[in-house]
Amino acid sequence: MVELRNVSVTYSNGVDALNDVSLKINDGEFVFVVGKSGAGKSTLIRLLLKEITPSKGRINVNGFDLKRLKKTRAYKLRRTIGFVFQDFKLIDSMDVFDNIAFVLRCTDSSERYIAKRVPYVIKLVGLTEKAHSRPSELSGGEQQRVAIARALVNDPQLIIADEPTGNLDPALSTEIVELLQAINKCGTTVLMVTHEHDLVKNFGGRTISLQDGRVIFDDYLIGDRN
Amino acid sequence: MKISSMNYLFRQGIKNIWTNRIMSVASFCILMVSLLLIGFTSLFIANINSFVGSIENKNEVILFLKDDVTDSDIEQIGVKLNNMDNISEVVFYSKEEAFEEIKKGIENSDELFSYVGEESPLPDSYRVKVEELDTMGSTLMEVRRLNGIDSINAPNDFVSILTDLKKIISIISAVILVSLIIVSLVIISNAERASVDIRKREIAIMKYVGATNAFIKIPFFVEGMTLGILAGGVAAVITIFGYSELASMLMGETTILTAMGISGLISLDEIMWPLVGAYVAIGALISAIGTVMCTRKYVKV
Repeated sequence: MVELRNVSVTYSNGVDALNDVSLKINDGEFVFVVGKSGAGKSTLIRLLLKEITPSKGRINVNGFDLKRLKKTRAYKLRRTIGFVFQDFKLIDSMDVFDNIAFVLRCTDSSERYIAKRVPYVIKLVGLTEKAHSRPSELSGGEQQRVAIARALVNDPQLIIADEPTGNLDPALSTEIVELLQAINKCGTTVLMVTHEHDLVKNFGGRTISLQDGRVIFDDYLIGDRN
Repeated sequence: MKISSMNYLFRQGIKNIWTNRIMSVASFCILMVSLLLIGFTSLFIANINSFVGSIENKNEVILFLKDDVTDSDIEQIGVKLNNMDNISEVVFYSKEEAFEEIKKGIENSDELFSYVGEESPLPDSYRVKVEELDTMGSTLMEVRRLNGIDSINAPNDFVSILTDLKKIISIISAVILVSLIIVSLVIISNAERASVDIRKREIAIMKYVGATNAFIKIPFFVEGMTLGILAGGVAAVITIFGYSELASMLMGETTILTAMGISGLISLDEIMWPLVGAYVAIGALISAIGTVMCTRKYVKV
C-alpha cells in the first residue's frame, strides 16, 4: 500500500515540486500517473524510493513510515519495490540471465535460489529462448521485458515503472502495458508513470493526473479497449 | 552477508581491475613509484640516522680538572657526572695516565720529555660521552658549573653541523613523505572514480533494488586494495634488489664510506621482512583511504 498525506516537496532552489499531495493506492491496484514534464511525477517516484524526503507530510510505502525510516535502512524498503527504468538500464556485459540474477545477488540470495527463480521469471516474460543473449542483441521491447523481469524477480509488493514505454513504438508499448497488467493480476501493485495519454486512454483504469505539483485528477477511466 | 555474496563481491572487485585496466595499470605504476620513493626516502632517513647515531657514539668530551683538585673532589665530580641524564661512560684519566699515553705515541719520548721531569705536566681529566647531541650545549653548561672543572674540550662545531643536518634531513624527508602519500591518495581516488563512472549504471540498479551500502562499496575496496597490495609487493621486491646492489656498491673497499670507517648501510636481513610488511601495509592503507575518499564522494546510496 502507498499512502501520501499532505506531502509537499520544495527543492533547495525554491522550486515547489509537490504541493500538498494526498493519495492512497491499495494493494493489488494498477495505477497510471500522468502529467507533463515538471508536473511532479519524478519527484513522486523519488519520494516513494526514499531518495528524497518531503518538506512536509507523511508517506507510507509497503508498511514503511518513510519519515521514520533512516536513509541507511532505505534498502529494506527498496527490496519490497521493483523498479522499471525508461532507458531499461541493462548491463551489456551480462547476459539476460545475469542481468536478472544481479538483483538477487545484490540482495544476498543463494545461488541455488537464483538458479530456480531466474528461469521462472524469464519464462513469465516470454524470453526463455533469449536467456543467454546480451541486451544489445535484443529488440527494444525485449530489453524492456528483461527490465520488467528484473523488477519482478525478488517478488516485490509494488512495481514502479517510470515511463516504461518512453523508448518504444506504440505496438511494443501496448505489449509492455499488457505484461504489467498480467503481473498486476497476480497480486502485485503496479504504479506506471507515463506522459502518453493515448496509452492511458486505450487501457483505462485508475489514473492520477499531476499538474504543477498538485493532483488535479484521481479517478477511474474507461479504456477504449473495454 | 553470506560467504557466496562475499565471493561474488571479491570477484567483482577483481573483475573491475580488468574492466578498468588502463586506469588500473596507470594507478598501479604510479602507486608503485610513489611507494618506491617513500621506501627509499625512509631507508635514506634510517641510514642517515644510523650513520649519525654511530658518529654520536664516537663523540667524546674531555673535561680537564683544575690543578688543585683533591682526590675527594675528583670522586665527587665523577659521582655528579654519572648522575647527569645526558652523560654516559664516565672515565677518569689521571695526569699520569695521560702523560703515559702521550709518551707511548712518540718515539724517543723519554729523551724528549726528560726536561719535564718525572711528574706529569698534564691535568687530570674525565672523558665522557654525551648521549643526545641536540642538548649537548645545556649539558656542558651544567658540567661547567661543577667545582673543579678547568676547561672543556668538546667537538662543538661538528656537533652543531650534525644536529642541523639531522634536522634539515628530517624536515625535507617529512615533506617528501607527506607529499608522496597525498599524491598516492589522489591517484587511487581518481582510479576509483573512473571505476565508479564505468559502473554508474550498475550502481544505480543496485541502489534501486535494495543493495546495502557495503554491498555497493566492497568491490571498490577489493579493487583498490588489490592494486595497493600488488604495488606494495612489487615495490618491496624492487627495493630489496636495489638496496642490496646499492649496499654492495657503496661498501666496496675503495669507497668513501669505507675510508670514513663507517660500518656500512643497515643490513638487508635486518630490514627485509619489516620492509615488505610496511610496503604492503602502506599500499593497502593508501588504497583503503583513497577508496573511502572516492566512494564517500561519488557513490551516493
